[in-house]
Amino acid sequence: MKTFAQLNFPGRLIAVEGLDGSGKSTQIYLLKRWLEAEGIKVYFSEWNSSELVKSATSKGKKRELLTPTTFSLIHATDFADRYERHLVPLLRAGYIVLCDRYIFTAFARDVTRGCPPEWVRGNYAFASQPDLTMFFKADLEVSLNRILEGRPKLKFFEAGMDLRLSADPYESFKIFQGRILDQYLAMSKEFNFVIMDANENVEKQQVIVRKLVGERIDLKKFKRRSPLPLPPALAGSREEEKEIEEDKAA
Amino acid sequence: MKKSHNFYGHGIPHVKPEDLGGKLIVVEGADGSGRSTQIAELVSWLEVSGRPTVQVGLKRSTLVSEELEMAQKGNVLSRTTLSLFYATDFADQLENVILPALRAGFIVLSDRYIYTLMARDMVRGMDPKWLKNLYGIAPIPDAVFYLSVEPEELVQRNLSKTATLDYWESGMDQGLSREVFDSFLKYQSAMGEAFRQLQKEYKFDIIDANRSVHSVNKELCKKISAVIDSE
Repeated sequence: MKTFAQLNFPGRLIAVEGLDGSGKSTQIYLLKRWLEAEGIKVYFSEWNSSELVKSATSKGKKRELLTPTTFSLIHATDFADRYERHLVPLLRAGYIVLCDRYIFTAFARDVTRGCPPEWVRGNYAFASQPDLTMFFKADLEVSLNRILEGRPKLKFFEAGMDLRLSADPYESFKIFQGRILDQYLAMSKEFNFVIMDANENVEKQQVIVRKLVGERIDLKKFKRRSPLPLPPALAGSREEEKEIEEDKAA
Repeated sequence: MKKSHNFYGHGIPHVKPEDLGGKLIVVEGADGSGRSTQIAELVSWLEVSGRPTVQVGLKRSTLVSEELEMAQKGNVLSRTTLSLFYATDFADQLENVILPALRAGFIVLSDRYIYTLMARDMVRGMDPKWLKNLYGIAPIPDAVFYLSVEPEELVQRNLSKTATLDYWESGMDQGLSREVFDSFLKYQSAMGEAFRQLQKEYKFDIIDANRSVHSVNKELCKKISAVIDSE
């Protein structure tokens, strides 16, 4: 599997992976804020967020209609929609694309649910490898506590209740997350995960994230050449600013 | 009845081939090939002869059929997405209708199957190896009949039925021609070619359906009887 850089795409894709409660979403959000402030062309995409597919997925989840196979396929459909309609064109246009979860989430979850690994990987074979994948590794207990503190009610599929691991959602969730973690760690080398210490405090982690991204990607190449066009109502004020600046320069 | 249906590939997690009895019979063919008519006749014939029969077809799943319909109307899906959406629809019916019916020893008559889905995707440039892996979830049918009709004849039958040619059955998303008539002919010959290619691997029975409903029906009944009575 080749990275987007190896495929000569002008853009770069950065993915974060980890268990629920590993803090990866916070980290990628802070990374996005920084890149935006630096004037870099950046786009953020979240797992399971395609408008088209979402209604089917939520119906399937609410009514508990999903089997391991349809769970896997509907998430692949969601990913394909975002990949083909957003990620690829943006990467062709030289964006830095940030993905909160990528195909490795499916590799870990679907296989834990009993889908054959070759089948799952084959289905996602249309997707290229990220240029950087950060895996946020927290102690299982830490992740569990973060989730279980904030949200006392666990959803059926989130807790892996479909696997009948335990009648108790909390117990089921713990076993399920533990198995997903094992799957992630088993593929870590193969897909060049950079392991991030997610037990560390949020600010310190973000410093490391930004440093890593800066080292791996020549960020100045991804700056916008011109400021974003403003909506007409505001366009006038930018003209004025420009004039004032020009006056100052004169 | 003989028990057991193998899968084309990895199959479905936790489903054992030896639990799947019954018979799985597939009728493939373009719109206007007489597929629906033949299936209606076959169901009636099987039920009258005392065989419990279940019918399935594409885009009929509880899970995604509405969403798929909506997405197609807007024609906003790219090819991999469309392909996986249809695969989800197929898998949902497979697990909720086809497999339970086979476990119960029913005859399942499938109005199209994975071959149509694969042929459509192949025409749209998807990798046949990728498709083969994807549809490794499908049980191998006991018989597959492809109702083959010349594209020129399909045009006549579709127009006499609805006075119009369907957007997707004409492959209008492919940009083959601005004119739906030309596009239909080009798309249907490409589909015919894809089916012939698939036939080499999946060995289905190509039935000349340029003939009358009655004579096609006679041939199908004879062949299906042989399959049902085979054990």
